[in-house]
Amino acid sequence: MTGDVFDPEQLSRCISCGFCLPACPTYAMTGDEASSPRGRITLMRALQDGTLPPDDGTLAEQSSFCLGCRACEPVCPAGVEYGSLLEQWRVHQWRGWRRPLVARALMLLVEQRWLLRLSGLVRRAARGRAVTPQAGPTRAAAPAPAAAPGAAAAGGPGAQLMLGCVERGLFPAVSRGAHALAPELAVPTAQGCCGALHAHNGDLAGGERLAERLGADLPGTIVTTSGGCAAHLAAVLGRDRVRELSTWLADRPAGAELRVGGRRARVALQDSCHLRNGLGVFAEPRTLLRQVADYVELPSAAACCGAAGTYSLLRPKESRRILDAKLDEIEAAGVDLVVAVNPGCLRQLRTGLRRRRSPVRAVHLAELLTRVEPPPRPA
Amino acid sequence: MALSATVLAELRGIVGPSHVHDAAGDLVAYARDATPLFSHRPDAVVFPADTAEVAAVLALATRHRVPVVPRGAGSNLCAATVPLRGGIVLVLTRLNAILEVSADELLARTQPGVTSAALADAAAARGLLWAPDPGSRTVATVGGTIATCAGGLRGLKYGVTRNYVLGLEAVLPTGEVIRTGGRLWKDVAGYDLTRLLTGSEGTLAVITEATVALLPAPASANTGVAYFPTLADAGEAVARVIRAGVVPATLEFLDRACIGAVEDFAHLGLRADAGALLLFGDDGPPDLVAAHLDRIGTACVEAGAVEVTTAREVAQAEALLAARRCALPALSRRGGVTILEDATVPRPRIAEMVDRIDAVAARHDVAIATFGHAGDGNLHPTCVLDSAEDHEAVRRAEAAFADIFAAAIDLGGTITGEHGVGAAKLPFLAARLGEDQLALLRRIKSAFDPAGVLNPGKLGS
Ligand SMILES: Cc1cc2nc3c(=O)[nH]c(=O)nc-3n(C[C@H](O)[C@H](O)[C@H](O)COP(=O)(O)OP(=O)(O)OC[C@H]3O[C@@H](n4cnc5c(N)ncnc54)[C@H](O)[C@@H]3O)c2cc1C
Ligand code: SF4
Ligand code: SF4
Repeated sequence: MTGDVFDPEQLSRCISCGFCLPACPTYAMTGDEASSPRGRITLMRALQDGTLPPDDGTLAEQSSFCLGCRACEPVCPAGVEYGSLLEQWRVHQWRGWRRPLVARALMLLVEQRWLLRLSGLVRRAARGRAVTPQAGPTRAAAPAPAAAPGAAAAGGPGAQLMLGCVERGLFPAVSRGAHALAPELAVPTAQGCCGALHAHNGDLAGGERLAERLGADLPGTIVTTSGGCAAHLAAVLGRDRVRELSTWLADRPAGAELRVGGRRARVALQDSCHLRNGLGVFAEPRTLLRQVADYVELPSAAACCGAAGTYSLLRPKESRRILDAKLDEIEAAGVDLVVAVNPGCLRQLRTGLRRRRSPVRAVHLAELLTRVEPPPRPA
Repeated sequence: MALSATVLAELRGIVGPSHVHDAAGDLVAYARDATPLFSHRPDAVVFPADTAEVAAVLALATRHRVPVVPRGAGSNLCAATVPLRGGIVLVLTRLNAILEVSADELLARTQPGVTSAALADAAAARGLLWAPDPGSRTVATVGGTIATCAGGLRGLKYGVTRNYVLGLEAVLPTGEVIRTGGRLWKDVAGYDLTRLLTGSEGTLAVITEATVALLPAPASANTGVAYFPTLADAGEAVARVIRAGVVPATLEFLDRACIGAVEDFAHLGLRADAGALLLFGDDGPPDLVAAHLDRIGTACVEAGAVEVTTAREVAQAEALLAARRCALPALSRRGGVTILEDATVPRPRIAEMVDRIDAVAARHDVAIATFGHAGDGNLHPTCVLDSAEDHEAVRRAEAAFADIFAAAIDLGGTITGEHGVGAAKLPFLAARLGEDQLALLRRIKSAFDPAGVLNPGKLGS
């Protein structure tokens, strides 16, 4: 008897109806029950009641093959919270040395606040000058992008912009864009990581601890430009404390239209899995985009792009397979830009498109709305 | 019974090493289907790619006396794909091509692993209708749909799957490949093996290709909802609708518990205070649909409906149907285990049957919610228990269902209208068919499957 890995009440909710099968990208890849949500829940049950040994190979394989995209959640009529079952599973599966090295290294890294701050500063120094508003009409309502989101802005009682540990290192322009769009947000630089990375990689307690610490760093409403962080923070701090940028901007006046080569730009959106499936947010970013450009709905916009937190690092082969189908679709849609609302997806799409030398660019919603030019592509 | 190394090696030789799984965890995943309380691990899971591989696997199984359980999506509710005697689970999801859709001949040719919804979409793209419409259509495969002779939400007007199967390619347990029926509407040469295999629940042959009849897609469709104080009132409304000479495509009812559960999932704004809900729908020329919905609405009001509305847009109608399709899993929000059963009575006796179900539930002290395809007398009494670990409660539920099946037969009905017999209802089959017919079933079974390897413990056992 292992017995205590899962919350038994959550585990018993699944009635094995199989309604989640068609939504699952890993099941689509294999057609194998073991890599479906229902099959994985059956495996979890076997682990819980001891009919499979804790070191069983399929348990290890399936807990890591799962993207954690939670596409199985909104389609489950029985209300199974698969995402949290997966987190509990990984606590067990990836305890101690079993946790993949890459995940361990990343988790250590993002916990170092001084490093976070430093990485942000270094990137800013390097890129600060290169970032220019794109030619053409800029969003009328938005002020010029703040040079450096540093001191807390005045006004907007209690709402603060979260900088994000990955984002401030890789995509400083995103926070800058967000601040330009919502200057009422305070931007304290002394803020840590939200802990989503920990929660998804087998350290639930660590994930909660970090989220709570961030909650203390940023009292009041936390506005984030990352769907993944939003879902994790909401799970720990409560939904009322957390807003993803698109919902924060939702009822503002539209900006001027975005034009490419003398015509209205064609843009598509890639949903953030956790934002869509965890928090049910998908209409707001679309509404914002429709106001400034011709919006094209990708047939699989709601399906994972394969970034899935650390997945692209831990399972590069599967991640690439999922991404390739997505990129085919993006190219076939004939869009100028594909928009992400999560840094992981942004990185995944940008890398993939660059590798293909595609003319399509991937930008974050905040970048697009402020017309901040994305980093130049290699020739 | 573990498979010998020789058998495993032969299997790997047939389908390729990566398409035979025998690790403990992989077997656990295939130990069950959508049926609660049944579970048994196979010894190997095999994923063939085509008819030839299926034939080779079956010939091998007969030679070595290894049980084989064909499996589509495993969404059946009668433990039909639980490998009770171990052996091989033969998963047919890799045979997933739609081979042909012909608008001229009004038919499609498809492999068995295609989902029912995918076939319906392919048909719709050519202006055609794939009529069978089980609640599980997005998951269930065409092979499973044919093998269980599934019904669904359009059953009243369109009947069950059997009416739409023109021909099959199937592999016998001994490895021969047969082709029954074909592309013709009129073809009466020989015994009707197409019908025999339809609904045979994977006990006679493995279906590897199906030619199915499609219909011209109806020009329009619409749906409405009526709320009643009690389930009996809804039953009365059904009787009045039929008496009014209207045979709608859809006539589904939910009791109070089901309405609440569906509303919790789908958030459609259903009236949770009503005692029962009747979901009705029809398809055809727009003015005919409107006229029918009107007459159904009137019949409902006469039967005591407190509110009748029709869907204002297609999206809303589809949302209503989708919500009804997931009534079963939604009900499980109410408790730990949800056991759904399937019994059919002649239409005029629905209200009586509902009363009997209530009495049975009270007698055995179990909670039973009921929903179903009211139009064709097909009811799904569903028992929600707190936990599978409460063995006493499970026993009470089982006793209650035994009484419910007896009541159905007593009222001139049957023990299953669409889900099939599987392992779960095998003990009740004799009561429905009688011993002589059962004996004939067994003789038919042994003619197809002399070694008794195909889905043992189910029909024909
Ligand atoms: C929520 C829910 C709602 C449902 N609603 C309905 C409904 O409205 N109406 C209805 O009739 N059923 C319904 N079902 C039951 C079930 O989904 C259907 O019977 C479905 O058609 C089974 O398809 P499957 O692919 O899952 O088959 P499986 O469950 O995999 O198999 C079912 C049977 O078919 C056999 N089989 C499968 N493929 C083949 C093949 N290629 N050759 C030979 N035998 C094969 C299996 O051995 C087994 O005996 C519902 C189930 C659920 C969970
Ligand atoms: S997770 Fe939900 S949808 Fe999937 S099998 Fe379980 S109950 Fe059904
Ligand atoms: S989280 Fe995504 S990959 Fe994992 S089981 Fe659910 S749908 Fe499949």
